[in-house]
Amino acid sequence: MSKPQHSPAVESALTSETQSDDAPAERTDGASFAGEDLRIGYHGAEEPVIDGESLAAAPGQVTALVGPNGSGKSTLLKGLADQLEPEAGTVHLDGRDIQSVGPKELAKQLGLLTQENVAPESITVEKLVEHGRYPHRGFFDGLREDDIAAIERAIDLAGIEHLREREVSSLSGGQKQLVWIAMILAQETDVLLLDEPTTFLDLHHQLEVMEIIETLRDESDMTIVVVLHDLQQAARHADYMLALSDGSILSRGRPEEVVTEELLAEVFGIEASVTPTEHGPQITPLQPLHGDASDE
Amino acid sequence: MASDTSPATESSVERGSRFAWLDRSLFTVIVGSLAITAAAGLVQVRYGSYSMTFSEAFWAVFNPNVIFDLRVWAHFLLGGLFDPGALLDPSQWDSILVDSRLPEMSTESLIIWNIRLPRVFVAVLVGMNLAVSGAILQAVTRNELASPFILGVSSGAGLMILLTLVLFSGLAVFLPLIAAVGGAVAFLLVYAIAWKNGTSPVRLVLAGVIVSTVFQSLQTGLFFFAQDIGVVQSAIAWTTGSLTGTDWEQVRMALPWSLLAMGLALVSSRQLNVLLLGEQTASSLGMSVEKVRFALSGVAVLAAAASIAVAGIVGFVGLIVPHMVRNIVGSDYKQLVIGCVFAGPALLVVADVGARLGLQAILGSAGQMPVGIVTGLVGGPYFLYLMRRQDQIGEI
Repeated sequence: MSKPQHSPAVESALTSETQSDDAPAERTDGASFAGEDLRIGYHGAEEPVIDGESLAAAPGQVTALVGPNGSGKSTLLKGLADQLEPEAGTVHLDGRDIQSVGPKELAKQLGLLTQENVAPESITVEKLVEHGRYPHRGFFDGLREDDIAAIERAIDLAGIEHLREREVSSLSGGQKQLVWIAMILAQETDVLLLDEPTTFLDLHHQLEVMEIIETLRDESDMTIVVVLHDLQQAARHADYMLALSDGSILSRGRPEEVVTEELLAEVFGIEASVTPTEHGPQITPLQPLHGDASDE
Repeated sequence: MASDTSPATESSVERGSRFAWLDRSLFTVIVGSLAITAAAGLVQVRYGSYSMTFSEAFWAVFNPNVIFDLRVWAHFLLGGLFDPGALLDPSQWDSILVDSRLPEMSTESLIIWNIRLPRVFVAVLVGMNLAVSGAILQAVTRNELASPFILGVSSGAGLMILLTLVLFSGLAVFLPLIAAVGGAVAFLLVYAIAWKNGTSPVRLVLAGVIVSTVFQSLQTGLFFFAQDIGVVQSAIAWTTGSLTGTDWEQVRMALPWSLLAMGLALVSSRQLNVLLLGEQTASSLGMSVEKVRFALSGVAVLAAAASIAVAGIVGFVGLIVPHMVRNIVGSDYKQLVIGCVFAGPALLVVADVGARLGLQAILGSAGQMPVGIVTGLVGGPYFLYLMRRQDQIGEI
């Protein structure tokens, strides 16, 4: 598995005007994806959740957003996906402001796996995956050959061939998640955003999901941004990490740079030991820190 | 299909075929509904003050001199003969339909085609409109207990009916139109109340409850101003839904809107399916959820208004039929809408047989009931049965 090597300061290259040396435009078919000075909040709330943060995700990399509950990582993801309109700032996909792109056009380039995922009672796996072709089909269009090919590829990639005739409601939580991922894959986008795709899954399915994500990164050079609840998982699988606390990005870089004992104390409020291993930093949580964690 | 394509596309021939949706369960619904509609329709046209046998009735309906005579259809469906000569000259467009006399036919055919059959056709149209309307709104509100009237349509129409009958009786000729418009306006009001940076299924349902409550109170209040019992009876017939006295004019009034609404519902079935995946998922798939939701609600209200204009407010059909069909064909909206187009008429034609002939059969009296009373009597127990049988009810 050959991970593309990016400089730690990859985001500076993408947020600034210099997209020359580090920019992967000619090297890959992946799309650059970056948010600038984003202020994102919910209607009715006085304070925005995210206040003036910038970030970039490079093609062929898995970028993980981590942080404790309520740190704003899901909100940030929704802002990046244009599901929450940023109060300020812009999100650029392949050099275009996503606000200026129509919703269907955007959905051809950017896929989002939400945590919502409710399927109607009797829908089959295959039918659900078929809905991933929604942005590619006109109002009156049936399934064309490229739609069918995309559906087949998605089912194959997610490894759910044996489930295709089953009703989604009869599947286990882990199997369901694979089906939803297949639906997003059928969308055939350059950028994939996933909101906690492994939370509540058993270990086997957590690894299945992460394996799909890594395959996508390695084989189709997708730009993948994933919110992960499990810090250890992020440390193990991500190429690049952003740690959020209280709506601010406190640290960013490769896992071994981000996952440090100081950061765990500051962001997660825990005392932990961190050991470097060949599979990324290994975290051993020791005890919660009480009082003002930043005093540590 | 090209032979060099990957094995992945092999099964596409079979899966992509045009009629993949017509599976056995939907086929059962369609055939069963058609049989029930035909049988109930035949009963409906056989009985009446001019008595005939079933075979007489059957041959009077399928009288080849009638059903293959275009002039008869022009007379019934257009209200007159179509004069193609006037088409090219705009100044003659007023007289594009020439009054015609119905061609000669047997007495049985005349009675059935002129008097009894239009009522069956109106029941068919009302049944399919209400069923499809309910099915759409169940997807829009993501609630299996939604009916065509959940967004205030019935209360708006009911209030306008009462206002027209009681206070503005001079406008009674336009009652069908006024009722339909009243329903549509109430729907817009509900939408406006529910709107706050967009809507949500729950907000829509709550706004519907608010508008319905106020309008129903006003409607009930208006009964006190009714001058005589005839007005009250007429108001009750309209607000519970009745097919008494419906004629070809009602068919002509409802048919174009029904066809339009059914067509729109069918082509929107994929939007409905995606909407069922939830707002966030639909939106991330590139759907403009608010626009689609409003447009689909509009189609549902159009269908409901078309049925209100000819039959008043017939309850329960739009609630039960999508339910029954979903139990058989599942939650795919293409199948569901098609199933509703057939099952809605079956239920309403049967109910109207009860409404028209029930009192005669049971009490020997010549009176008729509003069909809405029959649908309520059938619908309540059916729902009880569903509630007892299913553990989960309410979620699609």
